[in-house]
Formats: sequence, C-alpha cells, structure tokens
Amino acid sequence: MIPTFLHTTWAIFKKDLAVWWRNRLTVVVSIIPVLGLLVIQALGAVAVGRSPVALVTLDHNPKGSQMQQIFHQADVFRLKDATPQQAQKLLQTLQVVAVVTIPSDFTQRVEAHEPSPIEVTVNNLNVDFTNDIRRAVPDVITQFYRAQGSASPLKVMIHEHDLRSRDVEFFQFNVLPMIVLLLTLNGLITSGIATAREWETRTIKEMLLSPVARSAIIIGKVLAGFTATLLLGILIFSLGAALDWTRPEGTYWVTSLLVLALIALLSTGLGVALGAALQRIQPVSALSTLGAFYLFFLAGGISILAFEPTWVQNVAAYDPLTYGVHALQMAVFYSSSDLLGRDVLILSLSVLAALGLGILSMRRGIAS
Amino acid sequence: MQHMIYHLRVIWACMNKEIKSALTERMGTIMGVFLPVNFLILLSLFALGGGLAPTAVVMQETGPYARQLYDAMAHAHSFRLQMASTKEARDLIQAGRIVAVVTIPADFDTRVQKNQPVQVNVDVNNLNTDFTNDIRRAVPLSITTFYGKAFPNLVTITPREHDFYAHDTDFIPYLTVSILVVALMISALLQAGIPAAREWERATIKELLLSPASGLSIAIGKMLGALVMAFVPVVVVLATLILLIGVWPMYWGEVIGFTLLTMVIFIAYGTLLGTLVKQRMAFTALAFATSLPLFFLSGALGPISFNVPLIQIVAQLFPVYYAIVLEQHAFHGFDLNTYGVGTNVMILCAYAVGVIVLAALVLRRSTVAS
Repeated sequence: MIPTFLHTTWAIFKKDLAVWWRNRLTVVVSIIPVLGLLVIQALGAVAVGRSPVALVTLDHNPKGSQMQQIFHQADVFRLKDATPQQAQKLLQTLQVVAVVTIPSDFTQRVEAHEPSPIEVTVNNLNVDFTNDIRRAVPDVITQFYRAQGSASPLKVMIHEHDLRSRDVEFFQFNVLPMIVLLLTLNGLITSGIATAREWETRTIKEMLLSPVARSAIIIGKVLAGFTATLLLGILIFSLGAALDWTRPEGTYWVTSLLVLALIALLSTGLGVALGAALQRIQPVSALSTLGAFYLFFLAGGISILAFEPTWVQNVAAYDPLTYGVHALQMAVFYSSSDLLGRDVLILSLSVLAALGLGILSMRRGIAS
Repeated sequence: MQHMIYHLRVIWACMNKEIKSALTERMGTIMGVFLPVNFLILLSLFALGGGLAPTAVVMQETGPYARQLYDAMAHAHSFRLQMASTKEARDLIQAGRIVAVVTIPADFDTRVQKNQPVQVNVDVNNLNTDFTNDIRRAVPLSITTFYGKAFPNLVTITPREHDFYAHDTDFIPYLTVSILVVALMISALLQAGIPAAREWERATIKELLLSPASGLSIAIGKMLGALVMAFVPVVVVLATLILLIGVWPMYWGEVIGFTLLTMVIFIAYGTLLGTLVKQRMAFTALAFATSLPLFFLSGALGPISFNVPLIQIVAQLFPVYYAIVLEQHAFHGFDLNTYGVGTNVMILCAYAVGVIVLAALVLRRSTVAS
C-alpha cells in the first residue's frame, strides 16, 4: 500500500517536473520582472538621493570659494559648475533639477554677519526630487559651519546610535525582497498552471480513472511545484551570495534556506488552490501574477514598512511575506535571529493553511 | 474604389468577429477590466510610502528653543514626526513603526542660551543607507535651520528658494499618472494579444491566412476590435484615477487624445506579440512580466534626464516613456522632456504606424506549422 502510494507520488512528481521543464517560457517570464527590476535598480542606484544640480559661483573670495568647495565635497548632488547663462539653459532643458547660486557679495555679507542667502532655483514638478534639494542645500550649509571647527556657532551636537551593526546599501537591501517576489511569483504561476492544465487538457480524467490514491496525486503535484520553485530560489540566492549581495554567515545559511523553503511551499500551496479552483490556465496565469504582486507590495515591497501608512502596516501584519522578508534580512545582513521564532511560526502556519486550501480545492475539483 | 471598399469590408468583418469572440469569453472580458484597475491600485501602493522618515521625538525639554528645534525638524521635508516618551519611542522603534528617535535633552534650552555645547541623541534603525543617510543629513540641517531662526545673527547663511511651478505636486498625484500609462498598456496588450494568440492555439488562423484578404486589413480589423473592447477598461481606469484617487486633468482633450494614441500603440504591440508567441498563457505572463521593469525604466518617477545616461538612452527606445511624458503634460501641465508635445506625439504616431505594419507583415509571413 505504502510503496504504491510512494510510487504514484513519485510518478506524478516526475511528470509535473518534466512538463515544467518543457515549458521553460513560464520559468523565464517569472524571472524577467525580478531580474529586470534588479538591473534597473543597479543602474539607477548611482542616482538615488543625488540630484543633478548646477552650481553658479559669483563670489571667488574666501567664503565664496570655501562654500563652493564644500558643495563639491559634500557629495549630496551630481554637481556641475556653470555660468548663470549655462545654468539657466541646463535648468530649462531639464538637465538639472536646480540651480544653486552663491551670490557675488557672499563673503562680504558673511563677514559682516548680515543675512547671506544662497539662491536656489528648483524645478519643483516632482516633490521627491524637490525635497531632496530642500534637504541637501541646508545640509551643505551645515557642513560649511562645521568646517569652522571651534569657531562654528552651531553648539548643538549629534550623537548617533545605530541599531544595526552595519549599513546596507540600498540596492543590496532590495535584493532579498526581490528574491521573495520571485519565489512567490514562480510558485503561484508554476503550481497554478500545472494544476489548471490538468483540467484544461482533460488529463485529469486519466488520473481519476486510474486506481491511485487521490492524495498521492495531490502530494505529487505539490512536491513538484515546491521543488521547481525552491530550486529557482536557491539558484538566485546563491548567485546573490556569489556576488556578495546576499551572503549569510555560518549557520545563517540554514536559516535562510529554511525561510526560502517555507515561502516556496506557501506559494505552491496557494498556486495549487488557485489552479484547482479556476481550472483554466489563462485566468490562473493572470491572477497568480496579480496575487503575487499584491502579497509583495502589501508586505512593504522594496520600501521599509515603517514608511507606509498605518493601514498598510496593519495589513502587512497579516501578510506572511512580511515575516519571510524580515527573517531573511536579519539572517543575511545582520547574522541575527531577531524574532526568528515568530517569523518561522507564522510562515509555517501560513504554509499549513495554504497547503490545506490547496488540498481542499483539489479534492473539490476532483469530486466535481 | 472597389479595392478600397473590399479592404474596408475585410476590416469591418474582422473587427466584428473580434468583438463577438471577445464577448463570448466572459472571463477574458472581466479580466480585461479587472486587471488594469488592479495594476493601478497595486503600483499606487508603491507610492504610498513617501520619503518622510517616521520619527519619534522625545522632548525632555519643553522650553522655546526645544520647541523651535522640533519645528525646524517638522519643516525639514524629511520627517513624519510624533512626540513620545522614552519608553514609547523605544517600543515603536523595536516594533518597526518608526525608524529613528531623536531625544532633546532636559538642559537643551539652558545650554543653547549660554552658547554651550549640547548633545542631541539620535537612535537610528539603519536598515539601509538610503533613508539612513536622509536622516543623517536631516537632523544636522534641522539644527542649522533652528539656529538660522533662533539666532539669525550667528547663522546668517540660509537657502532662498525660487520654484518653477506655483505649487508642489505631491508624489501620489504625480506617480499615479505614470502608473495610468502602464495600466493602459496592460489593458491594451491583453485585449489585443490574447485574441491574437487564441487564433493560433485554436488554429482558426488558418482560415484567415488562406483568405485572399491582405494581412494589413486583417491586422487593422483585429486591432479595431480590440480597441472597441478596450473602451470599457480605459474608462474604468481613468475614472479610478480621476474620481477615486482624485487626480484631475489640466487638459481634458489631451487626456482623451493621448490615451487613445497610447491604446493604439499597445494594441498594435499586443497583436504583434500575440502572433509571435502564439500561446495565451505565455503571452499573459509575458505582458505582466515586462510591465513592471518598463514602468521603472521609462521615467515614471521623474524626468528621465535626471537619471544616469544609460537609463536615459534605454528609456527613449520604448513608447512607454513618451506616453508618460504626454500624460504628465495632459494632467499636470509638466514638460518632462525638451521635444515639445508635437514631437512626442509624432514619435508615438511613428511607433504606431511601424508596429501596425510589422504586425501585418508577421501575420502574413506566419504559418500554422510554425
């Protein structure tokens, strides 16, 4: 009895994996959005937080020159020195977000302790870029005063205490949520389509007419979807490790792989449920993709949850991917088991629920 | 003349056939409306975060200077502030609800008044360098701003801002217009590509290929059918943006015209891709897979000229970029490139003509065996 069950499960598992491998286009289209986003982020990472700005220095006396030097050293802009006419042209042709002008009487005014404004003309069509400028110019002014040393009028000092042992670069930080998206997308699409295909091509009839246990069919399908998804996830994760983006240390490899496996199992269960419920490839394909993106963005996507409105944070508390991303970030970036128990528990319960839903959906589909 | 009438009859017949086929596939029709709207909502979630760091301020000092510093931080375009006790702030940062805690010490006012050094503690949950560096920049600049107001004779250097536009446009009204273009793209691709792929899956394309009708007439007929079916999703998507999200156009005529042009281009692309891919499932997945990278690549977040040169070049290869430029002009009156509305429209028209002709050629050259 048991050997027959295992034999059947193995046969279904092999069959589904072979069909998955033959439909490589499905694999490719679940990887494309993730890799595409990573490439674009990698290319654009240089520009993050540093807007293109033209600097016009009309005062070449000591304070003016010092201010110009500090603008360059501050590294808060992608700076270009220009004459007033050149700067105006750059602004109008959208080559720069803003023109910063150090006026001709700057040194004179600073030394006389008179108001010494720095003129900032900004193309404020986009509040994100505009606020970058509104932060960056005062930041440079602050650096100018700090450069005065003990003569600086700024007596308020900052004592920074970081909660994390290291800073993680923006691009590197986003790799893990992308891997989670990939697992979710691939799991939902692969398992969903594999399940729906059985109904759409009527091959479910052969399976049901055969003297095999229904549970063997279901377990075989779930295992195949899980294996395909997990293999893909491990491949991308390992590639990230090889590039030094996502390299856990020591035992945190085990933690990371465990979390990847749980996410793969979760998405597989949901995919099987969706495939069995809809029984048609086209709607399954579309809804799987949409569902994966909703789960991803409602878990915070590539941003930090704390930045999201309260209602999104509240919804994220019910999204299992939130805990998956958190566990991976702690393990990979900080070699920490912070709240690992909670994350694994919630993921495991979600997996059980998803698998239960998948099994129930398949049984109903088979029964009907 | 008779030749012309014949072609028009072919176009009309193909258009009718597409509409009737689409109406029999209710699930496809529903998805054609449901998916683009959800895409609009989905990507809007991305915009909700904003760039303001949620920060708690522990006011151990409540004198005028401390309050002025709090005020300077509130106007630093960097923080979403809330006051909290030490314990509340610690709980909030550990729960991940805030990313920083700024503690203004009890002797702040006294020390500032006496021009003595005073330390402000900043605890940061430094998850990534992007927002962490924003905070590292914003706290010192808040201090400078505070001094500029409290002691204008000591800190005399301040920025004096002149804005191009009379008012700022918030991130969501800006970004959702870019998202509109992607939602229109998804809608058009699905409406055109799935029927095109279905023809191949069911081998009904044989009859079309064997007919003496020109590939161009067949392609145009199919596209017109898709355009008619896309009318409802387009109206729903626009209504969601305008009525639900509250982004009202500046130029209604431009919105209608540019939306129509965008739909024509992507319907042509959908027909072309559907004919090439020949499988509905693969086409649907491909349509979704490429939309997200294209969205980020095509200047959705701001003028592409503010980005690195490589992305500037690549973005201008895709019609999504020009569609975003035109829709931003239609809704907000912004000029996101220096080509002018006319040139951007002509570029899109050239794309449209090119893709329609290409779709017709591919259709005619395809065989059932391939």
